[in-house]
Amino acid sequence: MANTSILVVGGGFSGLTAALEAAEVGHEVFIVEKNPFLGGRVAQLNKYFPKLCPPSCGLEIQFQRVKNNPMVKVLTMAEVTEISGTPGNYEVKVALKPRCVKPGAADLSADAAALSKDVPSEFELGMGSRKALYLDMPFAFPHRYVLDKENLTEAETKTLARNGAIDLSETEKTLTLNVGSIVYATGWKPYDVTKLTNLGAGMVPNVVSNMQFERLTSPGGPTSGKIVRPTDGATPKRIAFVQCAGSRDENHLNFCSYICCMASLKQAAYIREQLPDASVTIYYIDLRTPGRYDNFKKRIMADEKVRAVKGKVAKIEAAGPGVKVTVEDAVTGLKGEDLFDLVVLATGMQPSLAGQKLPRGLEVDEDGFLVGGEDKGIFAAGCAKLPLDVMKSAQSATGAALKAIQTVKGR
Amino acid sequence: MSNPVRIQPDLQFVKDLQEVGGDTLKRCYQCATCSVACPISPAENPYPRKEMIWAQWGLKDKLVNDIDIWLCHNCGTCSDLCPRGAKPGDLLAALRNMAYRKVAEPAVVGEWMSSAKYLPLLIAIPAVIWLIIWIIRAGFLGTYFPLFALGADGHSWEVVKEGGKVVFGGLFPGDFTIDPIFTATFLFMVYTFYKGVKRLIASFDVPKTFAIAGAPNPSILVALKETVLCEIASHSKWKQCGEETEGDQQKFTGHLTLMYSFVALMIVTGVIAGAHWGGNILRWLTGASLGILDFFGHTPLNLWNPIKLLAIVGAVLFVYGIAKLTTRRLNQNAKKHGSSWYDWYLVGLIWTVGLSGIFSMLLRLANVPLLAYPMYYVHLVSVWMLFAYLPWSKLGHLVYRTAALTYARHIGRIPMQTKEEKTFVL
Repeated sequence: MANTSILVVGGGFSGLTAALEAAEVGHEVFIVEKNPFLGGRVAQLNKYFPKLCPPSCGLEIQFQRVKNNPMVKVLTMAEVTEISGTPGNYEVKVALKPRCVKPGAADLSADAAALSKDVPSEFELGMGSRKALYLDMPFAFPHRYVLDKENLTEAETKTLARNGAIDLSETEKTLTLNVGSIVYATGWKPYDVTKLTNLGAGMVPNVVSNMQFERLTSPGGPTSGKIVRPTDGATPKRIAFVQCAGSRDENHLNFCSYICCMASLKQAAYIREQLPDASVTIYYIDLRTPGRYDNFKKRIMADEKVRAVKGKVAKIEAAGPGVKVTVEDAVTGLKGEDLFDLVVLATGMQPSLAGQKLPRGLEVDEDGFLVGGEDKGIFAAGCAKLPLDVMKSAQSATGAALKAIQTVKGR
Repeated sequence: MSNPVRIQPDLQFVKDLQEVGGDTLKRCYQCATCSVACPISPAENPYPRKEMIWAQWGLKDKLVNDIDIWLCHNCGTCSDLCPRGAKPGDLLAALRNMAYRKVAEPAVVGEWMSSAKYLPLLIAIPAVIWLIIWIIRAGFLGTYFPLFALGADGHSWEVVKEGGKVVFGGLFPGDFTIDPIFTATFLFMVYTFYKGVKRLIASFDVPKTFAIAGAPNPSILVALKETVLCEIASHSKWKQCGEETEGDQQKFTGHLTLMYSFVALMIVTGVIAGAHWGGNILRWLTGASLGILDFFGHTPLNLWNPIKLLAIVGAVLFVYGIAKLTTRRLNQNAKKHGSSWYDWYLVGLIWTVGLSGIFSMLLRLANVPLLAYPMYYVHLVSVWMLFAYLPWSKLGHLVYRTAALTYARHIGRIPMQTKEEKTFVL
């Protein structure tokens, strides 16, 4: 008996889009998300292209559509472990981690606030902390707390055990789903800065990645959006952006991550809006501003306090509370050292699947991007396939959804 | 755009460059990581990024007159960090290889030295010279593999049928075969270097270097003294270039050992030649001889002679040094670094000189004429190759690089000085 259900792996912008496109034309859709909440990388941004909306602007609508559509089933803290079968008839095994909080949107904020330990937050990328009982952001979806039992004290465990909304006995489960086709929208992860040895390997204070900088500028972030120097909370006066931190480099990511140049220009705009006295220097190999994005670049570069220097930073060292970068300006042919209060590494996108153990039948190229699989009824969407911006990810997700529908239609 | 610059690319030059070891230069996208990665490149117009784009564009004039190729010590950090695998370090090595071809005359030798296909010819020249001498001497002595005993005058060697020894100086007498040939070769080499260095210095098109207030630039002589004592003697630049990896260590110890073994062997040769010819001249003039001159000038020296001991130590260090360098070269990551014909020619030749020298002595002591004389013949051929082709070989860097480093110091083209920031921990 053929199956017309569709599995979407990944609940970020691409996955949500693909799921909704398929569900809204009548297919049963399962979203399998590894994290406790949907929204993916977009949820971590302060603002996103093309219109510089805050993430709530696009994601909240998607969350509402998911919530209101009975055809969409969301599995969080879930990972696909095994895929078997053929197009139209897949059997997928999914491993579910315990959430330890019962269904429903119980407000546990008071219970969470009462907990003692502050745990580095995955969502804040090390820039902030969370409690052991938490939501990742104000409009988190599902709006259901997650409990990380490891970080409770014994007394807290006892107290929470008496709470009706909490289920400490929940254990890891495995689930089998029967679907007709699969969309992989597993997205990307920021490249591991510890591998960038000449750029300080994550050990130089006041050097942050571009995703960390998004958290630093986000109203929901650790500083409520105030741009400060992480070590001492001082307002930075001179800020540098280091483009291609890992991208376009055969020793790291052997491809262009497409959006980092735009991200740095966008972040330069955050700085210039908030700190009228601060100056920004963007060190680049090529400023890649595809299509209409070039207009945005022209607008940002018109600001005399934003300077772009052709030359890749190849050395970053700590210098007192500041950061010393060494770079050759390839236009003037001058090599020099410059001091900044804050340095942002425009780290590239690495596909989430890179270096992961994959279910059999799934194939990635040497960089970790999904390849092939279309003949098998498995389709890649968004940054699992190639580096994209949010808009193009959504387009690619719509395309993947259509292909998935074509695979199951008429069976 | 009132002054358009007309670029005249030399495509053949780009192809030549790719052939002598710069095959990956087209991959460069000018990110300038290399210029920063290099710890010894100057602040103004640092290398090797500018060389990469000149090479891509075929700007031969710029490249062949570039002093910076000699400032690079080929530590390879630029190639390690290069995001494109464009191997800037190899490009600079390739440019030096081209310079060996260009600066020394006659240019035809440079062409022969540039490719493995001419190696038989390069070997044939000394092989024929020494073979002719061997044949002529065999005619005189009545055998190709003579055994000798000391003659009545205490200086000359006489062939004996029984109980004699292998004596290289008997078959190839120093006074009228080895010494004249090597002296002529040596003088030819020195003259070639003299002309070459003059051309090299004259060709340097020095990138604009700003004079910063401070001490005036040193004179050429002071610069030479500083270069030799502060840089070459201690290999101080090499330490700046990095000493973290096993390869760095092998390169540093290997090169330093090899250099000092060359110095030791040069002292050995100088003392023997001086004492020998001093004794000869004294004998011709006065008929008398001086024991001390015979002691150091009459080969073969006793094994316990300090000069002989120095020679043995030198030979062992010589082989030790080249072994280190060979190991490093063989273990290099081929994706990041390549080795050119110039590298392998020199490595091979140094091995041949070292091993044939050591085995000549051992076979002589073992008194095996059938092996000792051919081994000594190989030694003569290889040593002659080392000296005669020196100005066109990679070993020529000992003169050209010293000259360029001295000149660079003289004009103030020195590594970027880094600002030291004091970090206070409260």
